[in-house]
Amino acid sequence: MDPYLIPALDGVAYGLLLFVVAAGLVLSFGVAGILNLAHGTLYAIGAYVAAWLADGGWAAVPLALVAGVAGATAAGTALAGLLTPVKRGDHLTQALLTFGLALAGGSLLVSAFGPEDLPVRVPAALDRPIDLAGHSYAAYRLVFIVVAAVIAVGLYLALTRTRAGMLVRAAVDDPQMVACLGVNPTRVRVGVLAVSGALAGLAGVLGAPIIGPGPSTAATVLLLSLVVVVLGGLNSVVGTLVAALAVGEIQTLGVALLPTAAPFLLYAAMALILAARARGLLRRWSTA
Amino acid sequence: MRIHKMTAALIALGLAATGATACADESGGAGGTLKVGLLASLSGTYQAIGTDIRDGFQLYLDMHGGKLGGHPVELVVADEGDGAPTAVPAATKLVKQDRVVALTGVVGGGSAAAIQPVIGPAKIPFIGSNGRPELKDVSHVWHTSYLSQETGAAIAQYVKDNVKGKVYAIGPDYQGGWDQLKGFTDAFARAGGELANADGKTLFTPFPATKNFTPYFAQIKASGAAAVYTFYAGAAAIDFVKQYAQSEVKDLPLYAAGFLTEGGVLNAQGDAARNVYSVLNYSPDLDNAQNREFVAAWKADHDGPPTTYAMASFDAAAVLDKAIGAAGDNPTAETINEAIAGLGQIESPRGAWQFSKKTHSPVQKWYLRQVRQDGRALSNTVVGDLATVGE
Repeated sequence: MDPYLIPALDGVAYGLLLFVVAAGLVLSFGVAGILNLAHGTLYAIGAYVAAWLADGGWAAVPLALVAGVAGATAAGTALAGLLTPVKRGDHLTQALLTFGLALAGGSLLVSAFGPEDLPVRVPAALDRPIDLAGHSYAAYRLVFIVVAAVIAVGLYLALTRTRAGMLVRAAVDDPQMVACLGVNPTRVRVGVLAVSGALAGLAGVLGAPIIGPGPSTAATVLLLSLVVVVLGGLNSVVGTLVAALAVGEIQTLGVALLPTAAPFLLYAAMALILAARARGLLRRWSTA
Repeated sequence: MRIHKMTAALIALGLAATGATACADESGGAGGTLKVGLLASLSGTYQAIGTDIRDGFQLYLDMHGGKLGGHPVELVVADEGDGAPTAVPAATKLVKQDRVVALTGVVGGGSAAAIQPVIGPAKIPFIGSNGRPELKDVSHVWHTSYLSQETGAAIAQYVKDNVKGKVYAIGPDYQGGWDQLKGFTDAFARAGGELANADGKTLFTPFPATKNFTPYFAQIKASGAAAVYTFYAGAAAIDFVKQYAQSEVKDLPLYAAGFLTEGGVLNAQGDAARNVYSVLNYSPDLDNAQNREFVAAWKADHDGPPTTYAMASFDAAAVLDKAIGAAGDNPTAETINEAIAGLGQIESPRGAWQFSKKTHSPVQKWYLRQVRQDGRALSNTVVGDLATVGE
């Protein structure tokens, strides 16, 4: 077990990063009914802002957090505005529109920051390895695990214990009833996309040293978070968390255990789970 | 309307006529302007390398009054993009429309292979300055760079002599990675070295998908290796080096093909790259007259020191300079190609080298470099000579 300790720990860091991103995607799809293919681009905005502002000091951290989250939130809100004429549930139009915006946004980011993957500087005190039971591990990633875990707990509490969270959950279950209760669906939709953007931007700033900004960042992040959404479903925070951690572990512990299978491990696992779940769904259809 | 059409036709006719006379001018007369085509990635993933290649060639022209072999040269630059799909139409334009007498540049080995059917029938000499694919017929193909397998082969004996124990070999899973690593592992085995890899075979990581090398570092740690040999370039090189420095194997010496720490990636890696050993055919701190002049001229309008890519393109211009000078008063593609075959030693910023009769790529010396502090910046400092490779 000893040689696999660090990959297993790294899988948690990776999984929690994916959780924060994918939680935003789950919100926009589950609550607002919007299939947002520009979600990876919102992450990229946060990551580029982190690369741009971070200079190895502590002062840059809150600055990058505020700027990155604000930028991605604004982009998410703008997205909600552009999607207003599109009918709820018209996923093809949404996908085309958001995919087009993702391409345009990606080009804008590249023309602003250049075509190369940018380095991200973390505070000097965290830019070193630390000792863990005879192994070394990057200090930044260890701190990231703690911070992301706090975000996950906060998100869970917000969804289960606050009025806004209850509205969100109600909107997933029965959007018409929520509208009848006098809550403006447009406001829910804009609010949800703004929060979704904020989560992607937050993940982008914090995760930039792990999945760094570059021309392929948006596509990588979108693909991985779509996998998480497919595996975890749209119904619960816990489901998303479990799926994100599983994807993280497959990408690290799985690769360490079976290095030769690394190129297809993730998609093989996804195909297996989908096959099992699809059969489950089918059975429910036939009994209904 | 009819009159307009007539005017248009007349103008077109006039343009065609001037175009024809222009062409006639180029091919005839001593000292007439020669067109040289340069194909390099000016956009996409390899933009940084492509820009270095263009600037290296242009620098040689600027330092020699815009002339090669006594003839004024018009450099026609075209964008290779990310690979064959963009490189082929760009090369076709240079050959068919611009009618260049020689073609140089080309970043990717795949692009270099794909444009052969375009330049082959025209019998234009191709002086490649970077990617060198496996080719059957090299009668009109020359490279000022290296063969992919030579990099690792040049450092294998040194690694065997200086590492007490087994060495772990790891690299990216694509043609360039296979060639680079095979060059090392074959020569290392011949020198009596042993790999630490589980089945004695190099570990190849998915490319370009791999961003996180932590699981592979755990493997290396578990293998009990005493050192690591690798080849990565670009974004993967940044990720690999930064993560290596904070990983479980941070104390193992890292040996690499020079591209791991070459050019812009070294700035991005920063302190994480300190002490990495690498092998390359060039370093900006080489102490010879050609190099001092080259580096000074390069730094006059660039921020950092020149890379091996810029140096190889500078040398491609030097090769053409000598060959055009030796190709008579009325150089054609064919006579230039013959003149290249007859060139002897070429004095270059990397030291003297010459074309191999067999592979048409350089027989050259390789250098051991280490990333060290040089003034305020980190740089690849030459710490010794390695083997001279080429046949």
